[in-house]
Amino acid sequence: MELELLVALTIAAALFGVGLYGSLSQTNLVMIIMGVELILAAALINMVAFWRYLHPDVIAAQMFVLIIMAVMAVEMAVGFGIAIARFRSRGSVEMEEARELRG
Amino acid sequence: MTLQVIFLAFFGIAAVWFGVVVFRTHSMVRSALALLFSQTAIGAMFLVMQAEFLGVLQIMMMATEMSVMAIFMVMFMMDPGGMGAMDMTHQKRLSLRAGAVGLVAALAVIWLPDWGPIAATVPSAGEQIKLLGFELLGRSMFIFESAGLTILTAMVAATMVAIAPQSETANKGARDGA
Repeated sequence: MELELLVALTIAAALFGVGLYGSLSQTNLVMIIMGVELILAAALINMVAFWRYLHPDVIAAQMFVLIIMAVMAVEMAVGFGIAIARFRSRGSVEMEEARELRG
Repeated sequence: MTLQVIFLAFFGIAAVWFGVVVFRTHSMVRSALALLFSQTAIGAMFLVMQAEFLGVLQIMMMATEMSVMAIFMVMFMMDPGGMGAMDMTHQKRLSLRAGAVGLVAALAVIWLPDWGPIAATVPSAGEQIKLLGFELLGRSMFIFESAGLTILTAMVAATMVAIAPQSETANKGARDGA
């Protein structure tokens, strides 16, 4: 019976959909970061589910979970760094106003 | 239906529900807290899937991360409590469509193939940590060290981006002095 695996993967898919919607629809930089966090969380669930239900003897899968967690931390650190710089220079983190790179 | 499926579905639905709340509430602080609950529910899912170390790590890491996020929300927003019910969205229809397409595509990939039989047992929590330690400091050491270096680089880069340029600080000082 593979119901456990399907439940875990379906939840990951739902989180991916919600995260994709959030990261595309929000105008605030911090909210966009939240959407990306949800997408990465979906990847985490997939990784743990595949390890647990298909290959519990391959411990490298858990190592990749740690790598995804590191990516989440990096994404947040750089995102907030950009947010601080933007807030300092423009007084806002609204991405609707970020048009400097537009040609 | 096993107890594991029931708990997995319960924490999973909680994670998705709080994920939806993140983008539905007007209050930024509530958004950060909803994301914290969502990530905690995901940590609980890891515990249900018998990945104890990763579950605890996820809960601890996300509790810290989301607390920092809530502080940033309060700092950056003029209306962190959401009393003004500001709309901070754009291209809503396109985003909904993209989210729905992503969901349907992922569901098709999940439900169509035959995944084969699932494993009934996993190594114990202690054994998992021991194996993970050997993995991180053995075969996967290069990848692990690269992740550490990447975090260090990101920390330096984030600090450099966030620090105000010296000319800007000097100009502000001159303005304040005048």
